[in-house]
Amino acid sequence: MWSLTRPDAPPGNPVLVADDRVTGATPDVLAAGVTLGMPRRDAEALAPFATVLTRDVGEETRRFESVVEVVEDLIPRVEVVGPGLVFVPVAGAIRFYGGEDVLARKVIDEVAGHVGSGPGKEVLVGIADGPFAARWAAARSSPGEPLIVEDTLSFLRTLDLESLREGVASDSLIATFRWLGVTTLGDLAGFPREALATRFGNEGVLAHRLASGEDRTALPREIPEELAVEMEFEDPLEHIDAVAFAARNISERMLSRLRSNGVAPHQVSILAEPDLGKVRERIWRSADPFTERALTDRVWWQLRAWVESGGVPGGIIRIRIAPFDLSGEGRQLGVFGDESARIETDRALARAQALLGPDGVLEGRPQGGRMPAERVAWSRWNEPETARDRDPTAPWPGVTPKPSPALVPPRLQLIEVEWDGGMPSRVRLGTRWEPVLTWSGPWRLSGRWWAGERDADRYQLVTSAGALLCVVADGKSYLAGVYD
Amino acid sequence: MGKPEVDLATPLLDQSREELSYLRLEPGRITELVGDTGSGLTRLGLSLLAAPSRAGPVVVVDIRGWISPEAAWETGVEAESLVIVRCNERPLWTRVTAALLEGVPAVFAEVPVGIKEQDLRRLAALARARKTMVAFRSMGSRLPSGVSHLRLRSLGVTWEGADRGHGKLKGRRLMLEASGRGAAGVTRRFEVEDEGKDTLRLVSDVVFDPSRRAAG
Repeated sequence: MWSLTRPDAPPGNPVLVADDRVTGATPDVLAAGVTLGMPRRDAEALAPFATVLTRDVGEETRRFESVVEVVEDLIPRVEVVGPGLVFVPVAGAIRFYGGEDVLARKVIDEVAGHVGSGPGKEVLVGIADGPFAARWAAARSSPGEPLIVEDTLSFLRTLDLESLREGVASDSLIATFRWLGVTTLGDLAGFPREALATRFGNEGVLAHRLASGEDRTALPREIPEELAVEMEFEDPLEHIDAVAFAARNISERMLSRLRSNGVAPHQVSILAEPDLGKVRERIWRSADPFTERALTDRVWWQLRAWVESGGVPGGIIRIRIAPFDLSGEGRQLGVFGDESARIETDRALARAQALLGPDGVLEGRPQGGRMPAERVAWSRWNEPETARDRDPTAPWPGVTPKPSPALVPPRLQLIEVEWDGGMPSRVRLGTRWEPVLTWSGPWRLSGRWWAGERDADRYQLVTSAGALLCVVADGKSYLAGVYD
Repeated sequence: MGKPEVDLATPLLDQSREELSYLRLEPGRITELVGDTGSGLTRLGLSLLAAPSRAGPVVVVDIRGWISPEAAWETGVEAESLVIVRCNERPLWTRVTAALLEGVPAVFAEVPVGIKEQDLRRLAALARARKTMVAFRSMGSRLPSGVSHLRLRSLGVTWEGADRGHGKLKGRRLMLEASGRGAAGVTRRFEVEDEGKDTLRLVSDVVFDPSRRAAG
């Protein structure tokens, strides 16, 4: 609960730190029933006696930067998830320091010595196989007493479903699992993964993976050099505004480059070179692939932390961000927003197609033509588009004017129209005759005589029951569309 | 005196007029379109899909096999996002629509005559649970009470541009009546202008009818 370390928190008083959800609360507030992650409004209702402070992540990151440096002095390759939470790969460090317990206590001692004591300054350390299990091992540990998990799978099985909430599963998914009688990750791991994939899509599969101890690997894949993005500045950036602008710019550039490759990163390395002093580098991690906003925020928080803590003396002359641990999830499918939504849509349409047959689910594409029925090239959904016979960009003189009828019969329908002196007077719709209030036309439609097509006249007839597009050929009238 | 007009194009969210909210779909809520063929509701239903089609796929359930995608494109629906499902068999309609409501973000469905009330209620519950944006156009009687959040009834359509053989159909004015929970329990009438482009215009000619019975 690093949020509680803010200097403006009134000492000794109950404090609640929240943005839209609670990120920090003193013990007396927690005793009132408030939990981390609870919606702010609910928390305020439960603890009306608490002083409520709005979270400032940038400021928290700035204060947390010195803690990261302390950890980094002990173990290299620190990955920051957010202010208050870091992951470090410990395999090498365990050998160096002589054991997991020794290492964990060393980290606790160093960090506790740096931050001191007070609300939110408790140092919790957990060691397990994978970041997800380690994060919850730390959460279950006591201040000063690390929790070292020997059997990660058994440990995960005891965790409550709430542990999935942080960036993995939505409230509604957790609520659905509970409704199904699932309360722990062990229960969830007992389901067949295929069943979860069918019912809940990607989100369900991800939750099942975590519950089964298959956390995302922390080993970065090899990244092509050109995916990293770099900006150099002739005049060093010293002002926060200029740094913010650069952060947004460089984040957008990198994600746009990644998008064209159809990938998004779970980790990014942010590097800043100051005009004077040593190059600074930090790795940030996210359970979900970084979105534009998430990445911009992280780059901004990190650069701001360095600038405000004096970590980049003389200003920044070069920024470089490089993606790691690339994922193909979602990012390349901009139209659909995310991969799971696309999968659900495809599944729904496939089910409809299975019920109706392949010709029941169709897609249309514009093509040229003079009549409304000619102007759509139909193809079956999920099959290659049929070739368009007619160029939609050609001029098509004599095309039926817009607006187009919303209802177009697949073939012309014979219809009874009564004429009076060459002008339409009544039209039969079902069992009743409707007077024609007004009309436009005729527009001549010259058929391709060599293809056996006839000449015809088109009329737009307006009745009190709606407007119709009507074709008259060889003395007979046909319905070509309804302006519904 | 000219009537003030409000564009209903993309900056819809910036508009504060209450009637504008009737002309967009909301997640998990059903908008019911009531009116005979020719009263202009197919085009209105298609235009409701225009905004969702910019974010993802949208589906039209067509029970007659007559709905034209060209009219949908003219109202602003993205061609790549539109899928037409043709279902002219009443026994299948409920199952097909349920499958679509479960996975597709926005659906405009014609409802055939004779669908059981309990099936419609189940579909409404499914749409609520899945937060699907839905417009139903009943081809028979109205939907059972409580199924739709908002009911838009077409009171009539007038066409402009055609004059006894001259000109051509240019635009239409659709008089609509909004009622139901989505209209806050009062019946409101308003007029929409459609010139065949991807912009509808709301004509500020609104009549409020007091609710005939109180909600309790």
